Amino acid sequence: MTTVGQAVRAEAGTSARSRTRRRPSAFKVLSLLPLVLVLVALVGYPVGQLVWLSFGDVRLAGGDLLWDFVALDNYARMLDDETFRTSLYNSLVFIVFSVALTLVLGIALALATDRLVRGQQLVQNLLLWPAVLAPVVISVSWLLVLSPQVGLLNEVLRSVGISPQAWLGEPVGAMASVVVVDVWHWTPIVFLLIYTALRALDPSVLEAASIDGASYAATVRHIVLPLLTPAIIGAVAIRVLMGVKVFDEMYLLTFGGPGTATTVISIYLRSVFFESFRYGYGAALSITVELLVLGVMFALILLRRVLRVVRGA
Amino acid sequence: MVRRSTGEAPRNPGFVSVLLVGAAAATLLPILWLLLIAFQRPRAIVTPGWAFDFSLSNFQEIFGPRAVYGTQVLNSVVLVLAATAITLVIAAFAAYSLSQLGWSRRVVNITLASAALLQVIPPMTLVPGLYVTMQQLDLLGSLWGLVVLNTVFNLPFAVILIKIYFDTVPGELRESAAVDGASEFAAFWRIMVPLAAPGIAAVAIFTAIQVWNEFLFGLVFTTGGREAPITVGIATLIQPQEIPFGPMAAVGAVTAIPIIVLAVVANRQIVTGLTGGAVKG
Repeated sequence: MTTVGQAVRAEAGTSARSRTRRRPSAFKVLSLLPLVLVLVALVGYPVGQLVWLSFGDVRLAGGDLLWDFVALDNYARMLDDETFRTSLYNSLVFIVFSVALTLVLGIALALATDRLVRGQQLVQNLLLWPAVLAPVVISVSWLLVLSPQVGLLNEVLRSVGISPQAWLGEPVGAMASVVVVDVWHWTPIVFLLIYTALRALDPSVLEAASIDGASYAATVRHIVLPLLTPAIIGAVAIRVLMGVKVFDEMYLLTFGGPGTATTVISIYLRSVFFESFRYGYGAALSITVELLVLGVMFALILLRRVLRVVRGA
Repeated sequence: MVRRSTGEAPRNPGFVSVLLVGAAAATLLPILWLLLIAFQRPRAIVTPGWAFDFSLSNFQEIFGPRAVYGTQVLNSVVLVLAATAITLVIAAFAAYSLSQLGWSRRVVNITLASAALLQVIPPMTLVPGLYVTMQQLDLLGSLWGLVVLNTVFNLPFAVILIKIYFDTVPGELRESAAVDGASEFAAFWRIMVPLAAPGIAAVAIFTAIQVWNEFLFGLVFTTGGREAPITVGIATLIQPQEIPFGPMAAVGAVTAIPIIVLAVVANRQIVTGLTGGAVKG
């Protein structure tokens, strides 16, 4: 570093680059400043507020927040909160099923599209539609498909003599329905990620396999899928994060019900904050969820490093 | 890829066609059903059977003089234009700064890491803190509050993706511009921005879609009336007692159609957005 510094000083004033290294220009600072200010004011500060709320008994009186320090009471209360535990469990069930199904379908569609001789562009274009539609629109569409009164599915069932079903009205049916809707919504992103990775594979490797007389199934199993592993891991990570965040579809299709059957984390947080008005407790729950997400993420990153070291050794 | 190697006839394999036709049908059916119900006369909607009775009455109802949905569609348009424009300006400057202006590795990493964290944390967990902040800024229940929030939550992705494009531009270009006497702003605006244009276009389209689709902040930071975006307007139609299926489908169709048009004409930018955003988290 010192040598670079000396060299820069020696050359001072000879080139634009050395000038910017010595003292940041106004443009350099001003170009980054808005982003930093926005992040500090609208992420850093609110997170500070969140921490502050979580240590207090907070009430709303005449538009003002009244705050009394209660130390860790809000966090302690979480331990006997059965609905919170249910919401964590529901989120887990939702994530496991929706991620697994989108993964299988997405990979299958990517492999199939890659085998197409004609119309790849058209298929790719069409299959992506659900990923860009508003969750609200998707919920409305599926409400119209699943509804016992006007639903497409029930019209079909009626045509073959089966009486209408209220899937969204019973616990297992409701969870299955939101999983199906989520799979419809997000299979496209898995498809796209895998398809993109597939197109980037080195064709010569695959050619070598087929010259060796390997069948398509064997090639996929022993060569293509192992080569796609990084893309698959990436897709799983993204889908899990989406599953943790999920809110819109549950809010619109089931409102977390029936009972608490589809009350996932975000649905429960909203009800604590906007229905029970327990601001302090809601903040404590929020921070716990954030720490959980970040903790799991760092654990996975660490695990990957450890595995790499172990394998390398 | 495998197909190229063997001497297959130029015909799509049978099982592949079946799978993809099935997937295309599954993709289209709920959307078509939505459109069908939107253009169906209300009485025909609840009548069992397949009779279709075309009418525009659902649209007349939702855009009638007493309904708020027309205003909400306009709100969404304003929200998309404002939030996308502000996001692009802040992100383009910041991405260029981080990529080309010789910030230390530590500054770059801390900025990108905090941006990436925002992508990972469930937005709902930030709502309590944001609520207090918005109240202090007197932005609760206003469209400008939503412009601010949508900007904040789309910035991380925008910065990360545009930076990828600036990273591919050689630094010498900027230096030679400086030698030619161009100001730093001129070098950025006239030379660098056009070079990153594909990335900026992808971010613009992707951000616009995200903002148009946004629901959570609209729901908790407005009251759902004349200041709300259209996504929140749809939610007010879904009531536990009796859902007005026809108008609900009509509002859904109005919200869906611009996005489907974009999905068809701007597919390349959307693909960049989806894969780029996914890669970076």
